[in-house]
Amino acid sequence: MDTWKYHPSPGIDTPVSESLRGFPREPGMLAYAIRSVAALLLRAWMRTYHRLHIEGRENLPAKGSYVLVCNHTSHLDTLCLLSSVPLRSIHNCFPAAAADYFFSSVPRSAVSAVLINALPFDRKAKGARSLALCSALLKTEGNILILFPEGTRTTTGAMGRFRSGIGRLAAGSDLDILPCHLEGGLRAWPKGKLLPRPRRLHLRIGQAKNYRHLDRSPESVKAVCADLEERVARLGGGAE
Amino acid sequence: MSIDFAINSPVFLRYLLIVGGLLLFAGVVLGSLRLAGRNVASPLRTYRGWLIMIPIVLGTLFLGREATILGVTLLAAVGFKEFARATGLYEDWWMTGIVYLAIFALGAVSLVPDPRLGSPGWYGFFMASPVFVIALILLVPIVRNRSRGELQKVALAILGFIYFGWMFMHLGFLANTGNAYGYLLFLVFAVEINDVAAFTFGRMFGKRKLRERISPNKTLAGSVGAIAISLVLPWLLWFSFPHFSPALLVLTGLIVGVGGQLGDLVISYIKRDIGIKDMGATIHGHGGILDRVDSMIFVAPIFFHMVRWFNGAG
Repeated sequence: MDTWKYHPSPGIDTPVSESLRGFPREPGMLAYAIRSVAALLLRAWMRTYHRLHIEGRENLPAKGSYVLVCNHTSHLDTLCLLSSVPLRSIHNCFPAAAADYFFSSVPRSAVSAVLINALPFDRKAKGARSLALCSALLKTEGNILILFPEGTRTTTGAMGRFRSGIGRLAAGSDLDILPCHLEGGLRAWPKGKLLPRPRRLHLRIGQAKNYRHLDRSPESVKAVCADLEERVARLGGGAE
Repeated sequence: MSIDFAINSPVFLRYLLIVGGLLLFAGVVLGSLRLAGRNVASPLRTYRGWLIMIPIVLGTLFLGREATILGVTLLAAVGFKEFARATGLYEDWWMTGIVYLAIFALGAVSLVPDPRLGSPGWYGFFMASPVFVIALILLVPIVRNRSRGELQKVALAILGFIYFGWMFMHLGFLANTGNAYGYLLFLVFAVEINDVAAFTFGRMFGKRKLRERISPNKTLAGSVGAIAISLVLPWLLWFSFPHFSPALLVLTGLIVGVGGQLGDLVISYIKRDIGIKDMGATIHGHGGILDRVDSMIFVAPIFFHMVRWFNGAG
């Protein structure tokens, strides 16, 4: 009789505190259950408290992987985008979140990993490793990445310049990039305030664009960034 | 078993003093060894683990019957999760999910009163539960219309439920007995002392291996020493179960001494067959939950049925 073959989980020796920060994450039944309930509650809260209105949902591709690129005014941006994707994709939808902020402690990591399903993004060192993680992630059918190319929340309402990361990710790759614009985030939850206020939010999702025809040169990267920056701004009707 | 009872119970107070005293003693010994320049990093990690675990265990028991049963249920669920992750069963959400559900159902069965007798805990259903759960697990391949590799999954799921769920959860069912504090506090204390004694005696006198192809660190001397200590403990802690006859004290000592080490060896060969060192990394300095509670899995059900046989349901 042949002996059985076992397949232990790769992270079996990793303590919980570390596995929360790790990525890709091992799928766990409990985490999925909590996240599903949290997603439902989040959607209810967004609809009632913030009267979230989503425009252009039909632009979301029905299948394949894609990237949502949005202006960044508050933590509500992530939550709005999470509420805009189909509920069944919630476990395949990964908002890129600054590792130095969202994964700085064990409780924060737990919220980021379990509830938000965040991808820990290393803002330092130009994010080369994190970008490699993103492109690997997007090779799997049906994965959604949420990215805020400004890299940080705006305090004035004016959109910051897009950092090169999104350009390096998109230029020359067969990836659908959807520009999004959220209006009202700054009034609802300005940086530094503890809790959001009941202000209206308006999310516009633009049409997908693919940059596979470009090469990976620095010029193309700049062009992609400028193009996406303009598309996002145009969705918002100029400035917020 | 309740907070009121625990506050007024001399048994609870005595165990609090004993455990507190031992922790203090161990802390002083470790501290002075460290001051003497010895390397105590590894035992210190284990000690810190104890400092976190002991208040949680005592606090749960203090809160009474419901908290204890819930605590044991959660431990069983986490223990099964570690087993499932180690064997790879975890990838199969159907099997894992059914065993989780069965473990929580068993927790509920331990909590509700017997519908016919009205006594706390539905004893009959608890004892009959393997019939239903094994049947349910065996149905999964039929429902999914699959056969390839299903026997292994079914076998692992059944073992996972019976051993880590059902057998271990007899500990929670003990909370339904009249002398719950005495039984539970004694079992938890004696089983851990048995572990520590096996380790210490093995370190001091151990030469001949006990089962070298399963666990090369365990020695015959450690095993004999641990059984000796476990045989003495019930006499020292007789106040935990004043109604026990001397013969029952001997039996209790044997169950803890032999059963504890068997539980340890079972987890050892499971780990060795899989090819891993620890079942997880949940408790810092102790490995996984299963590496800590393994000795209890044999002891809890046998002790439970011994008590029931000689003392009835009370």
